[in-house]
Amino acid sequence: MAIYRYRLCFSKEKEMKYISHLDLQRVFTRALRRGAIPVAFSQGFNPQPRLVFAAPLAVGLEGKNEYLDLYLTSCWEKEVLKQVLQEQLPGGLAIKTITFVDLSAEPLSALVEAALYVALFPSFSEQYVLTVADILQAKEIVAVRTGKKERKVDIRPFIYSLKIKNDSGGAQLFMLLAAGSKGGARPEEVLSLFPGGKETAKVFRENIFLRNGETLLTPAGETYEEYLQKVQLFLPA
Amino acid sequence: MRKLDYRALLDKVQKPARYLGKEINAVHKDPDDVQLHIALAFPDLYEVGMSHLGLKILYALSNNIPGVYAERVFAPARDMEELLRAGGLPLFSLETWTPLHAFDLVGFTIQYELCYTAILNMLELGGIPLRSKERKDGDPFIVGGGPGAFNPEPLAPFFDFFVIGDGEEVLPELLEEYQRWKKSGDQQRISFLRRIASIPGIYVPSFYEPLEKDGKFVGIKPLLSGIPSKITKRTVDLEHSFYPEAFPVPYMKVVHDRAMLELFRGCTQGCRFCQAGIIYRPVRNRSIPRLRQLAGNIIARTGFEELSLTSLSSGDYPGIEELVDELKEELEGKDVQLSFPSLRAESSALKLADRVQRNRSGGVTFAPEAGTQRLRNVINKRISREEILGAAAEAISSGRNHVKLYFMIGLPTEKDEDILGIVKLVQDTLAIYEKRDKKNRGPFRITVSTATFVPKAHTPFQWEPQIPLKEIRRRQALLKREFRPLRKVDFTWHEAEMSFLEAVFARGDRKLAPVLEKAYRMGSRLDAWSDKFSFSLWKRAFEAEGLDPEYYTEFQPGYDDPLPWDHIDTKVSKEYLIKEHRRAIRGETTGDCRVEGCRGCGIKNCPGMGVDGNLSL
Ligand code: SF4
Repeated sequence: MAIYRYRLCFSKEKEMKYISHLDLQRVFTRALRRGAIPVAFSQGFNPQPRLVFAAPLAVGLEGKNEYLDLYLTSCWEKEVLKQVLQEQLPGGLAIKTITFVDLSAEPLSALVEAALYVALFPSFSEQYVLTVADILQAKEIVAVRTGKKERKVDIRPFIYSLKIKNDSGGAQLFMLLAAGSKGGARPEEVLSLFPGGKETAKVFRENIFLRNGETLLTPAGETYEEYLQKVQLFLPA
Repeated sequence: MRKLDYRALLDKVQKPARYLGKEINAVHKDPDDVQLHIALAFPDLYEVGMSHLGLKILYALSNNIPGVYAERVFAPARDMEELLRAGGLPLFSLETWTPLHAFDLVGFTIQYELCYTAILNMLELGGIPLRSKERKDGDPFIVGGGPGAFNPEPLAPFFDFFVIGDGEEVLPELLEEYQRWKKSGDQQRISFLRRIASIPGIYVPSFYEPLEKDGKFVGIKPLLSGIPSKITKRTVDLEHSFYPEAFPVPYMKVVHDRAMLELFRGCTQGCRFCQAGIIYRPVRNRSIPRLRQLAGNIIARTGFEELSLTSLSSGDYPGIEELVDELKEELEGKDVQLSFPSLRAESSALKLADRVQRNRSGGVTFAPEAGTQRLRNVINKRISREEILGAAAEAISSGRNHVKLYFMIGLPTEKDEDILGIVKLVQDTLAIYEKRDKKNRGPFRITVSTATFVPKAHTPFQWEPQIPLKEIRRRQALLKREFRPLRKVDFTWHEAEMSFLEAVFARGDRKLAPVLEKAYRMGSRLDAWSDKFSFSLWKRAFEAEGLDPEYYTEFQPGYDDPLPWDHIDTKVSKEYLIKEHRRAIRGETTGDCRVEGCRGCGIKNCPGMGVDGNLSL
């Protein structure tokens, strides 16, 4: 049976930021069933609908450009798929684009290399610039992760890039952090290094970057530098 | 009405998905555009309430009526409650964040005894005076329904009225009266209550007074003329009654995270401890074509991956195999799993499970309820040891790796040999597994769950006491000891103190209301959650109110003694319950009236009673 692979870019905003990754998967599979969209199933003992998300987003954060690879058993027009699925999705989940992807390409989740988080501070402070410089010069930054067992992690290697931008309305911090199976840093871990960062800044995930040989590209094919320029234009003042 | 903004709270609670109210199929209307604004309240957490069929029926039914808007509200978790109290914010509805006190009507589903203090908590958090007599004109009317309404007395002072029986028909009648009352210009609460007190199935407790003679309960007397002295439950014609298709689809995982298709209401198995078996009589079926149509529509509207064929004893549906085949055909290609909530311990039931399940390696649940034939006869669980073991053998040979067995302890006439009978039955089940060739048997476990018998109002066992607390603990300890050496057996039991408290309220009277209020004031909330349950708190509440809880658990009235719930009429006659109780003590079983003909339980115009006295269902 022929299988068709689509890559969906969607935003996860408003109330949907409170939905966990596991719950989000159910939201999509149920929407697909309501829309009678012919999703393919995995092989094996307990077949599951074939949906592959790029990278889980922490509960409480909005995502502006999230990704999902969807495998169908018949070839639908991208526009039709977009319309039918969007009708079945709850408010707060908006499909932005759909593209075809080569079936033989690596699974989406395996390609994920980094994620760009943006933190908006209500006002600007010189201290932020100094903090950015300190972080980038540091050899090691230890974050303590709680959970079943307390763990210490050096997050410095996971901070790929940090940029702070002064604005009349406040400050914007762009954090490109490692993501995916090899480990990564969490935005709140970086933010906690800024004075009052965790309390005052509003954070969201802007986009995801995939590995492409030696470079990082958004799933739409933009480089980090290109993307950063574009994004600054669209940010709320 | 000023709408409050609860968004800031969502960032501070552990599970915000409980409070979003924007699930697929949640209904959104403008509250200012309707004549009757109802809050459907469930006194437990979202994940429990959203698993409850009755609530979903009422939700969709009410919202289908023009001029009515029904929203949902659940018991807040501790963290949310603390935020509300700290901020001085009222408990709110999920859909429009309307404070509870701003509704016209707040309807509680009363599902079990241990949710009573959660009701009080929701009222007070919602800004509503706890007792009906403290409520003023303009406050909402507080109504209770569900199985708990069949013995409403412990809750009587907190409710303006109760709906006894199926709510499907009562609701439109209530609405009509409500509109007439509003138009009449007489805005007094009591006038509305007077109007509805004569609607069949409605009980306004403030219009009735319990009477005592020499400290002994002698009956309940209506205080007004023209209201019934007995309130008869309502029963709908199920085939033609409303059934929802667009269930709200929760975001978070709830206890029963699936669509539900109610095949029939009622049950004629006649287990003597079971209250549902009495209060939902007579059995009423939905037809196969209707069920098939519903199943297709429900899946199309909800997208659930599982459709549960719910009823008290689903395997008893006449033509169940044909139904399953038709449903499978209807849902072909949609990747929907059918399931049964419970099955009898018979191999026919197992075949049924095989018919719907793709994956046979999972578990199967049987409920023999008692360990010996003698005791099963007493409770009228008409199933033999051979049948139970036969079903277990089939389950094991078909590759199931997990068998769950449900039992009750403390049943009337129970002796230690009956308890040991449970152990024997489990050992015999285990032996079936162990006899199998080592090479082609996989891992295997048996889970044994024991609940403690709670005598319930309106059942043949309403005249029976509960065994004393220390006896519950002793019998549990006996089982623990016996099961300890069996490595493949997991033994679980209900907390003795919880069953004890259930028993107090299950046959309680109006005098218990102050204890409820006291326990609530002392901090009791979601008692059905063992981590939140404090027995010592309850003991202090009883002491403070000068009541002895054991009076209620050990209560053993005579057949002629009036009972605090006698004014609630289930349509099943007391004579029948007495007859059944006597048969129980003699160890005689009573056949299923669907199979063996009418047993004369007292239901008039029973739809099942054909010319020959046989059920034609
Ligand atoms: S009236 Fe007869 S047939 Fe109807 S439920 Fe009662 S015993 Fe069964």
